[in-house]
Amino acid sequence: MDTSLAIKRFDPEAENAKPYWQEFSLNLEQSATVLDALIMIREEIDGSLALRCSCRSAICGSCAMRVNGKAVLACKTRIENVSDNSRPISIEPAGIMPVIKDLVVDMDLFWNKVKEITPWLETEGVEPKEEYIASNESMVNLASVMNCIMCGACVSDCTVLEVDPAFIGPAALAKAYRFVGDPRDSKNKERLEVLDQYSGIWDCTRCMECVEVCPKDVAPMDRIMELREKAIQTGFNKTTGAKHAEAFTKIIEHSGSLDELKLPIKTFGILNMPLNMLPVGLRAAAKGKMPPVIHPSIPEVEKVKRIFDKFEEEEIENQEE
Amino acid sequence: MPEHDVLVIGGGLAGMRAGISAHKAGVDVAIISKVHPVRSHSNAAQGGINAALTIRGDDWTDHAFDTIKGSDYLADQNAVEVMCREAGGEIISLEHMGVIFNRDEEGRLGTRSFGGQRKARTFFVADITGQAILQVMYEQLLKSQVAVYEEWFVTSLIVDDGECNGIIALDIRNGQLHVIKAKAVILCGGGLGRVFEPSTNALIVTGDAMALAYQAGAPLMDMEMVQYHPTTLKGSGVLITEGARGEGAYLLNKNGDRFMEKYAPSMMELASRDVVSRSEQTEINEGMGIDGCVLLDCTHLDKKLITERLSQIHEIGIDFAGIDITKEPIPIKPGMHYIMGGIKTDIHGQTSVTGLYAAGECACVSVHGGNRLGANSLLDTIVFGKRSGESAAEHVLNKKLKTPHKKYLQQETERLKLLVNRQDSKDRVSAIRRDMGITMDEHLGVFRTTDGMNKGVSNLSKLQQRYTQVSIQDKGKIFNTDLIFALELGFMLESAETIVKSALHRKESRGAHYYLDHPNRDDTNWLKHVLITKTAEGPKLSTVPVVITDWQPEERKY
Amino acid sequence: MYAFFPGCVSRGGCPELYPSAVSVCQRFNIELVELTGASCTGAGVLQEKNQLLGDTLNARTFAMAEDMDLPIMTICSTCQGVMSQANKRLTSDPEYLSKVNTYLAEEGLEYRGTTTIKHLLWILVEDVGLSTVKSQIKRPLNGLRIAPFYGCYIVRPSDALDLQDNPERETSLETIITALGAEVVDFEGKARCCGFPLLTINEKNSVSMVAKHTSEVKDLGADAMVTPCPLCHLNLDGYQPAASQQSESDIDLPIIHLPQLLGLAMGEDPKELGLQKHIVSTKPLLDKINLAA
Repeated sequence: MDTSLAIKRFDPEAENAKPYWQEFSLNLEQSATVLDALIMIREEIDGSLALRCSCRSAICGSCAMRVNGKAVLACKTRIENVSDNSRPISIEPAGIMPVIKDLVVDMDLFWNKVKEITPWLETEGVEPKEEYIASNESMVNLASVMNCIMCGACVSDCTVLEVDPAFIGPAALAKAYRFVGDPRDSKNKERLEVLDQYSGIWDCTRCMECVEVCPKDVAPMDRIMELREKAIQTGFNKTTGAKHAEAFTKIIEHSGSLDELKLPIKTFGILNMPLNMLPVGLRAAAKGKMPPVIHPSIPEVEKVKRIFDKFEEEEIENQEE
Repeated sequence: MPEHDVLVIGGGLAGMRAGISAHKAGVDVAIISKVHPVRSHSNAAQGGINAALTIRGDDWTDHAFDTIKGSDYLADQNAVEVMCREAGGEIISLEHMGVIFNRDEEGRLGTRSFGGQRKARTFFVADITGQAILQVMYEQLLKSQVAVYEEWFVTSLIVDDGECNGIIALDIRNGQLHVIKAKAVILCGGGLGRVFEPSTNALIVTGDAMALAYQAGAPLMDMEMVQYHPTTLKGSGVLITEGARGEGAYLLNKNGDRFMEKYAPSMMELASRDVVSRSEQTEINEGMGIDGCVLLDCTHLDKKLITERLSQIHEIGIDFAGIDITKEPIPIKPGMHYIMGGIKTDIHGQTSVTGLYAAGECACVSVHGGNRLGANSLLDTIVFGKRSGESAAEHVLNKKLKTPHKKYLQQETERLKLLVNRQDSKDRVSAIRRDMGITMDEHLGVFRTTDGMNKGVSNLSKLQQRYTQVSIQDKGKIFNTDLIFALELGFMLESAETIVKSALHRKESRGAHYYLDHPNRDDTNWLKHVLITKTAEGPKLSTVPVVITDWQPEERKY
Repeated sequence: MYAFFPGCVSRGGCPELYPSAVSVCQRFNIELVELTGASCTGAGVLQEKNQLLGDTLNARTFAMAEDMDLPIMTICSTCQGVMSQANKRLTSDPEYLSKVNTYLAEEGLEYRGTTTIKHLLWILVEDVGLSTVKSQIKRPLNGLRIAPFYGCYIVRPSDALDLQDNPERETSLETIITALGAEVVDFEGKARCCGFPLLTINEKNSVSMVAKHTSEVKDLGADAMVTPCPLCHLNLDGYQPAASQQSESDIDLPIIHLPQLLGLAMGEDPKELGLQKHIVSTKPLLDKINLAA
């Protein structure tokens, strides 16, 4: 199978070093992966092509890079699945992290964020002579985050990191869930308290890029949502994010549909409305975009309320148990 | 000049375990690794880790016997005793660190069956046990704050008067060569799978540690003992865990028969790996295979079990072979996987060179003898990683750091410069490596002959000649992987030679070394380890008797 | 014929969307029966507090459409995405579906798992067909340069949205733009995030995202950006002045809804389409089509 690749290269030792694209035409086996193609280039055409790779079987996490603009593991990406006869397959280094050379990025940014979340188990008291008792369910529940091979694909494509490098990021947050969700960890509250703060769990924009690109089904965003749920349950319900979720839910309970005026009021409290919301609101009003002040409930809203009631009853029952 | 009390080469399970244990003993330790620790090949181990939990009524001597029998009686029984006795405590220790082992209904550690063992004592995390333990070990490393020289490539050991004083390493990110002084060095650089083509091993597994020790004068032991794993994917050689057979999968020939009935009627698919690999190869050689493979059949297994316990191989099947193992059998064949041999150490990880230790796959204590049982490798790395860390820490207590003579750095700088500046040769490092891999696969495979191995020797000699002339394309300093591959090839060629020479020396068949010209096991003459030592006159072969304690060698039947 | 789920914002913060969507559907003889009793999808926000509750509310909507024997039509990427994700969870686990149905039993509803949910964008490309779309063009948009902005929820996650089986959905906006005669302005951020979910939590980042995408498109010479999501519209349009301020540059890029783009090509009156209600004036765009009132 004939394929053409366009690789974004960078030679830090060149004079006036700047990234540039280089095209390669190859003849590959039908089952070839992007990694096979890159290794072929490295071995037979240009030995200076720099990339990280090791296991060839999607377990070491070395070969994360962007293929056609999306972060993937090169060893797991089949050429035939990313080929488009109208243009060469584009291959670039992973996003967000600075490029050292060609497809090799500096992952210090990635590792530093992981280090921020106290990434080791913190047990309490005297260690038992035997194993800690834990249900298989609780261990299987951690399987998705344990699957994380720290490849950096999620960080590469995170839309928040793209505009704000201070965000702790999907990989670190998924790793944080590994501990918060572990019944043997005794520092849940302390961890959630830190994660609840700026650049933590509430700074995720829920764009699902990390879920989409993760090659190991870790689904970091889903783990972040679980952390949010746990944070609220643990009593960390004072953040704007928590209050926003709470307010939204209450509004739907009340009217069945969203009352956009009430939402910010309930989220912030009428006395704490951010001042810069005022010009936005005024502009909207001027253009006739103001939602009705009295928000109509949907027909038969009481049926919706009944569902909410049932959930509340169950919650009370669970707490009593 | 950077300096440490203890320097660990290799950041995989053995390396990190050694580093953490030396740190706990209170010495200044650092780990040096050519890749980030979590990229180490330990992450590819799938099936599980063995231990006899005496608290639960299991008997470590049972595990020891299974291991010794599995080794075809080549394992040193005192070393096996140490490993099996300490295993239970190590598993609990791993669990306390946070490994998410599978649990039974009572919330206690669960087990699965594994090859060569009469009792289920393999603890596991789905089929990602190696990765799961490696990630937790890295967490512990972060907690201990042990320094890591990440992406530094060790080019040589500095040995003066029979004592190791440090290393020379290349900082891959900027191409600078550095001397690092150390009072003790622990080699944990893993195996040498890439000497063979194909192999289950990652591209980074190039025998660096074994070659470094060999070049420093430490003998390598049992290098002829190379394990062919029974279930690897055709072409890529990617591993399919033994755990599949542990959970009940069958091996079938082209007629759909469970052919292991013929070769190991008692343990069937869970006989020791060398027995299963030879059985498969025999079926294939006799025309009972399909396209050079036999079939691994998981279709009768519970789907929920596959999702929970074999999810990684389910994905591997789909991603790398286009096969859903729940729906159809997958073609597999024996593939080079592990080397039982390695740097000779005692049960404290000490080599013959003062201040030089080794642990993990690169070492040979020997606990695996002629054939390693599945799930004993992870155990080996943990037990002997810990022990080497502790003994190295003890060794350095009253030792002074020595500053190596600057000639070492000068010589190494020259050597690398010559390699980089060599004029354009038509030959390529990758071509030499591939030819080496094919020769080793052909002549040092599941079945070996004198003729074949002699061809191997002469081919390797030609390849070594080519290596002295080969040039590299990348002449830069920053992240020059071209140079790294050339240096790795040097290590591989050196290691390959020790394998073939050792194999020719052992004139019997034992464990994974099946010598068609000497097809029987010969305990009278060969209850010995083969040692190979580098001398000025070339490789020197010798032997040393196997340590027998409680178990007299018997005929090995499964 | 479709069970129409307009969502909350199309009659709230983006009141121009509802009438223009209805009008476009009339043009294509897409019959709509509105699901007036259906609740909000939860928009992913309610799901943060309780995913099961969110799935139950959506299952209720699906059951209502199922009883009508009609597929659901959405006009909001977020509605589309949240519903698709809920539907995937409900239809892939029979035990889960039974559990959710226990909450619906009192109302006499039961979701059997057969409802499909499709955005108007997909309906036009897949069900109505491009030739029919083209046949209704009265005012071809030749000479216009339009950039597509999808909105996260209509492109991810790909399995919930059946993108593997329907890969043309990933370029459906470009398909429509081209069919209407306009030129597509392709850009890197077209499937990235507008920042809306972050608005109340981290306004700076939210506005940075608006600035990034609108500036990129403006620099490429686009006349407007079209989006099938009113939440994206609220951010890209409503917070564009803030984005201009934060990035210290004038952006002035009109953001229009998908039905408005279609309506313009169908010859509708811009006032009927609500194009005067935008925060960022659409006058430059209308001038180019010689439509400015």
